[in-house]
Amino acid sequence: MRKRIPAFLLAAVMALSLTACGGAPNSSKADSSPAASDGSAPAASKQSEAKSYTVGICQLVQHPALDAATKGFQQALTDKLGSKVTFDVQNASGDTATCAVISNQFVSSNVDLIMANATPALQAAQTATSKIPILGTSVTDYGTALGIDNWTGASGKNVSGTSDLAPLDQQAKMLNELFPKAKKVGILYCSAEPNSKYQAKVITEELSKMGYTCKEYTFSDSNDVQSVTKTAASESDVLYLPTDNTVASNTGIIKNVCLPAKIPVIAGEEGICSGCGIATLSISYYDLGYTTGEMAYDILVNGADPSTMKVKYAPKFTKEYNPDICKEMGITPPSGYQAIQKAS
Amino acid sequence: MEPMAYLSSLDPMNFLTAVPGNVAQGIIWGIMALGVFITFRLLNFADLTVDGTFATGGAVAVVLILADLPVPLALAAAVAAGFAAGLVTGLLNTVLGIPDILAGILTQISLWSVNLVVLSGANKAVNVDKYPLIVTLRNVESSIVTALVFAAVLICVLYWYFGTEQGSAIRATGSNPQMAKAQGINIDFMKVLAISLSNGLVGLSGGLLAQYQGFADIKMGQGSIVIGLAAVIIGEVLGDALLGKHMNFAYRLIFVVFGGVVYYLVIGLVMWLKMPTDLLKLLTAVIVAIFLAVPYLRAKSKNSFALAGRRGARKNA
Repeated sequence: MRKRIPAFLLAAVMALSLTACGGAPNSSKADSSPAASDGSAPAASKQSEAKSYTVGICQLVQHPALDAATKGFQQALTDKLGSKVTFDVQNASGDTATCAVISNQFVSSNVDLIMANATPALQAAQTATSKIPILGTSVTDYGTALGIDNWTGASGKNVSGTSDLAPLDQQAKMLNELFPKAKKVGILYCSAEPNSKYQAKVITEELSKMGYTCKEYTFSDSNDVQSVTKTAASESDVLYLPTDNTVASNTGIIKNVCLPAKIPVIAGEEGICSGCGIATLSISYYDLGYTTGEMAYDILVNGADPSTMKVKYAPKFTKEYNPDICKEMGITPPSGYQAIQKAS
Repeated sequence: MEPMAYLSSLDPMNFLTAVPGNVAQGIIWGIMALGVFITFRLLNFADLTVDGTFATGGAVAVVLILADLPVPLALAAAVAAGFAAGLVTGLLNTVLGIPDILAGILTQISLWSVNLVVLSGANKAVNVDKYPLIVTLRNVESSIVTALVFAAVLICVLYWYFGTEQGSAIRATGSNPQMAKAQGINIDFMKVLAISLSNGLVGLSGGLLAQYQGFADIKMGQGSIVIGLAAVIIGEVLGDALLGKHMNFAYRLIFVVFGGVVYYLVIGLVMWLKMPTDLLKLLTAVIVAIFLAVPYLRAKSKNSFALAGRRGARKNA
């Protein structure tokens, strides 16, 4: 029994020395990486035939829109670099602390670029490194996400990316075009999602200018969706749903409340609209991811500097309607709108 | 992927260089686990408040740091906020007679709204470039040292405190409330005190993690009770295995923190092995289940009647 204590101490010392050994190359790598990333920029374009790249992708949670952005990103880089790029795709399964673990791993294995999909992933990545270039996607407002006051469009540090901000002014116009006679607009979203709150604020301003009365209805998780939607539907003429992850996962419930109540729903993106909305002016997360991939190519191969690279927005928007729900509600599809193609 | 290509794609150095980061995060969660240890083991109280308190600690710390308050003060406020949350759970349980799990859940749910108000939103960044954060992913080595100092001081203080008359009264309340009451201990007071202390530690840990990852998020506490319990149990199993009968209260506290480190090393390992991350939660659950089951099965195999019967048969033969 007595012998166990020295054995344990020995094990602890070995574990610690392992940590120390692990720490040393880590810090030396971090020190040498600015030289590598700065110096390699002009050199990389010369050697780009031979050089291969490792890109770490940290996605916050499994979710159709985020999955599409990751796919688009990978496709863009694969189109341009073929087999010269390898991806380390990690998903935090919704756990924000895991984003830190993933970022730490990317930084310690010194990947060439980090793609962070969703706000907490971007925040963890930018905390983990000031050297490795980081591109975000599916982030609405970079100023808020990075804690930068007076946002000018570029971060001034190793971070850039694409924003999934829907064209809220145009969505408000669309709502006005479809429902000119409505008075009260209910805005429904999850209180846990900062992006949704931001969108609700902006669209309220836009709609108020047009003479609508807006009221926000927030739920904290899936369990409250039904009751909050019921209240919202009973107090509103039209509902507006921003691009909200929790809404996106609960469109079935919202449809079951709004369809019998004959309350039309305008959605911020296609996925939500195909579940419970009648129309949307949608961005494509795949295209957004693809744009992010093109930015990554610019950084990796052409030596573009993320600190001066402006955050990009979705390349195009499409007016779409949901044929099933329009039919059930007796709404004639407006002209100039495309029917949403059901994925399966 | 081909098995060989898979194996050759795994660079052991990549795992080793990631170890310090996992250790730093593990120690921070270990501090949270010390809080869980107080309620779960010492008080025998299943406290689910912590899922809310963890985020409260993070939110309070971040908001105050953003208001340019010194970090130690912000952390003290995170502890105070956690303490207050624990106080609510304790009072719900002792004064209003609400069962422990439900009391914790009620506080946890209400903390969701409180945290939203504190953060004035769902997520707030605290940028390491602008604020003097004491632990951060940006500098993992110094974060390990800082977190270790925190953990060491807390372990010493807890070791001392639970040896005092009041601390012993808390332990007595946990192990046998009727007996403790008969000895003249005010068990309701002890319960409220212990739950508050526990949540104070959880708030501190939340404040540290928010700095470490660079943001406070309304969801950062979700599932933290699972990580806390896992750390407590992993630490106990490892401590018992390594120290056997020498596992005393001081070692127990040390191993709780060590359990947090092991938990995050395992997460790091799962990531490094490039296992499908959709399975991450399942894999961690399996690992915790193994740590729970092994000591039970070992004890069972030592004490079973079947074994005794076999021994008896051998003796008689």
